Amino acid sequence: MWRKEKAEAGRQAVPAGPAAQSSSALPRFLAPEILARISSLELLARAVVEGFISGLHRSPYTGFSTEFAEYRQYLPGDDLRHLDWRLLGRTDRYFIKKYRADTNAQCHILVDASASMRYSTGAVTKLQYAQFLASSLAYLANLQQDAVGLIAFDERVRTHVPAHSRSGHMRAIFGRMEQLEPGSETRLAKVLHDAAERITRRGIVILISDMYDDPEEVLKSLQHLRFKGNDLIVFHVLDRNELEFEFSEPVLLEDIETEEQMHVLPDLLAEGYRATIGAHIERLRDGAAANRIDYELLTTDRPLDYALFSFLAKRARR
Amino acid sequence: MSLLNPLFLLGLAAVAAPILVHLVRRTRAPRVEFPTLMFVRRVPQRTIRRKRLHNLLLLLMRCLALLLVVMAFARPYFSRGEQAAGGGDRANVVLIDDSFSMAYGQRFEQAKARARALIGEMRGGERTALVRFGQGYEVLTRFTPETGRLTALVDGLRPGLGATDYVQALRGAERLFEEAGPGERRVFLISDFQAAGRNPAEAAFRLSKEVKLVTVDVGEGPAPNLAVTEVAAQPTIYQQKYADKLTARVTNFSDEAREAVRVEFQINEHVVEKREMRLGPQDSQVIDFTGFNLSEGDNRCFVQVSGDDFALDNRFHFTLRRAAQLKALAIEAASRGRSESFYLRNALTTGENLPFALTVKTAGSVNPAELAEYRVVILNDPGEVSAALSGQLAKFVEQGGGLVIAAGPHTQAESFNQSFPALSPAALGEAVQLRGDHVALSEIKTDHPIFEVFRQSGRLASARVFGYHRSTPREGASVLARFEDGSPALVESATGGGKVLLYTSTLDAGWNDLPLTPIYLPLIRQMARYLGEREELAWHPLGQAFTVPVAKDGAPPAVDAPSGERLTERQQTATGELIVNAREPGFYRLRYPDRSQFAAVNLEARESDLRRLDVNEFVAAVTGADPKAAAGAAPDPKLLPEEVESRQRVWWGLLLAALALFVAEAFLARRTKSAKVIG
Repeated sequence: MWRKEKAEAGRQAVPAGPAAQSSSALPRFLAPEILARISSLELLARAVVEGFISGLHRSPYTGFSTEFAEYRQYLPGDDLRHLDWRLLGRTDRYFIKKYRADTNAQCHILVDASASMRYSTGAVTKLQYAQFLASSLAYLANLQQDAVGLIAFDERVRTHVPAHSRSGHMRAIFGRMEQLEPGSETRLAKVLHDAAERITRRGIVILISDMYDDPEEVLKSLQHLRFKGNDLIVFHVLDRNELEFEFSEPVLLEDIETEEQMHVLPDLLAEGYRATIGAHIERLRDGAAANRIDYELLTTDRPLDYALFSFLAKRARR
Repeated sequence: MSLLNPLFLLGLAAVAAPILVHLVRRTRAPRVEFPTLMFVRRVPQRTIRRKRLHNLLLLLMRCLALLLVVMAFARPYFSRGEQAAGGGDRANVVLIDDSFSMAYGQRFEQAKARARALIGEMRGGERTALVRFGQGYEVLTRFTPETGRLTALVDGLRPGLGATDYVQALRGAERLFEEAGPGERRVFLISDFQAAGRNPAEAAFRLSKEVKLVTVDVGEGPAPNLAVTEVAAQPTIYQQKYADKLTARVTNFSDEAREAVRVEFQINEHVVEKREMRLGPQDSQVIDFTGFNLSEGDNRCFVQVSGDDFALDNRFHFTLRRAAQLKALAIEAASRGRSESFYLRNALTTGENLPFALTVKTAGSVNPAELAEYRVVILNDPGEVSAALSGQLAKFVEQGGGLVIAAGPHTQAESFNQSFPALSPAALGEAVQLRGDHVALSEIKTDHPIFEVFRQSGRLASARVFGYHRSTPREGASVLARFEDGSPALVESATGGGKVLLYTSTLDAGWNDLPLTPIYLPLIRQMARYLGEREELAWHPLGQAFTVPVAKDGAPPAVDAPSGERLTERQQTATGELIVNAREPGFYRLRYPDRSQFAAVNLEARESDLRRLDVNEFVAAVTGADPKAAAGAAPDPKLLPEEVESRQRVWWGLLLAALALFVAEAFLARRTKSAKVIG
């Protein structure tokens, strides 16, 4: 059984980047349990993203899009196309005009909707968290003028919304997203291969999954996507109890997907379990790094901002 | 294995606690959905198995520790049957005391119960022999492993009427072990351990070293008892009034004084006299009765004490016979002056209650045909005897008469030897005259009835003998006394139903000064009684045999036991007398065609004394063990000292083992943290 106090303590031990610090330093980021109360994913995404953006006025994640962002002094080597000639005429100073990135990239969000994603020991299930994350990312991508597509899958692709940037497309995305229900078993590698074939134009592929498949097979399928020229961001979503295996008494564990049952002595098993899943994560992390895939491990009790940072960083590189 | 405090076994319920917790927790293990079991399955099973084994080990250790604590408090001890592995080469002899003291209170029932318990504890091929004992012992069964048969034999036991003799029983057990073969040997002695049962004459007896003695004492607690322990009486009198003193000893065997103890004397079921007396603790008093009249023939008498619960020994039976005097004939040589039978006559006819009526005749005046009227004939140096007389004398002796021959100066050896070639116990030789010198009697057989009364005095040797005949004993004759030079003085032989005594000197003062000494009278009377009077006893102790004379027609009488049962044993002595084994206290009736006689039988008086042995001392004495070690065994008489010690070790061993288990369990539990148990 999940124990909150344990979870609080365990939180300190979770591999964390700057977002972990942000979550405590920036309370404006809504906690997942609060997000769970927002019925509309669109509203939720807006709340998340706008809150996120409002904190980014000094953000370095700017680009050269058609939307003006700021000025900066001309430095030798800068493209003269970006020189603000009007300003030069009025003030006789050389300034480069900076714009928001305006590349119209394709962003495919792959959401794992297998049965294992319905697991939860907190306020939200992994699937809900994936929905929040996917919606927020979709919203953010849309703000960036990217074409957003959605693929939801379990053992096969169940929902595929091709990427578009036209107005109203987001509504379709959110609509499909809201309808997602946990499905059957996971065939992650197979589905990723399938998705690689479906995504015809290269872009950013965001995979949100609990990654319950053979890591080698998964990495092969990710390589498949990668070889097609996609930038990959993998959000490995897990419930904290999946990492820590905290049970206070012997339990009869039932596999959500296969309904296989197993008597478990948590005290005897936890250590081995943590080592095994740790190895699994490490393999994925190492494999991702080797293939220049961004890999982020998220637990469902963490705010979404860290995921958004990751996205923006990846987006900036394009 | 047996337990001293079996109630503590209720604590075994505590052992169930860890198991119940295990079961309860197992049934409550909730079903929890989990995203995948792929990582659970990958956890090395060996580790889990090892940890599960740890937990099972912990559970077992806890249960075992609790079990050991409970068992320690239940005080287990192993019977000897269990302590030795197998038991196949072990032989036991169970000795059950069935003396009459065991009939006191519930002693015998306790003894049977303990015997049954012992038999019940025996294991495997252990073989056991069952022996009951009192004065003697009877092997009820030789070594057998059949406990059912042994128990049935024990169930059928009843207390006997005999006394106790421990050493004889132990000897019997040792003899039995000779057929047991090699292996452990144990004797279980179940008794009330009366002090009287230990024969001081057997103090040197030791059990073999390989035999273990285990005492089972059923005689604990106070045992007050009153008993008539002895009656001393003249068994035969020759007049109506009993002029002698009849004494009875009444004993109080308890540590408390007894007031107004009533004692009653009855003859032929008529109360003769009643007395009341006070007896102090462990006190004994003698009362006497005299001046009562007796009927002719046998009189059944008893002295009885009343006021005691243990009635077996309250009555002391005896018979008093009023008989006609026995006729004796003295034949002497015709001589002038004082009769040579002067001293003889005075010796046999002086005093009261005389058994003999003596007639003195000369050899020439005796009618050989009248000899049959007499019981005893004394040839007091008669000189030459006629052939008719010698022939009649031979016939007289053949028919059971007693003959005393005194050879003096009138007896010529040659004619004597011709007259009594076979009748005389010895052939006479030359006459020896010691002028100015004398010899004394020596080599006297003091165990002979004639000399028995002189055993203590030693005065026989004080008589001086100046003249005697040398003699050569015939075959079959026995020399009862000799002179200092080795020449026979008194020779005895048996012919037919009678006996002959040859005295090779004179019965008057001619050749010796014996008649002038104080021993003359008793010696003559002893000789006459020995030859003419049946040795009668007022009573016989139980367990011994006595003989009963045959009727005139030579047929033995029918014998009825005190219980009224007709005895069927017809064992007879060489002279035809019937042998009766005294097995019941009371009066045995001897039915002759013309009369009835009685023989009284009493329990052994020493068995009435219920004072106890120091069991430890006894065990130490017969086993040669250290008395202090034996004293250590006192709390439980069932066990040998080392076995009591062994039992103590079991107790402590269990507790120590439990402690060690708890420590080990704590250590293991700490290593495996809080182990949970599921199936």
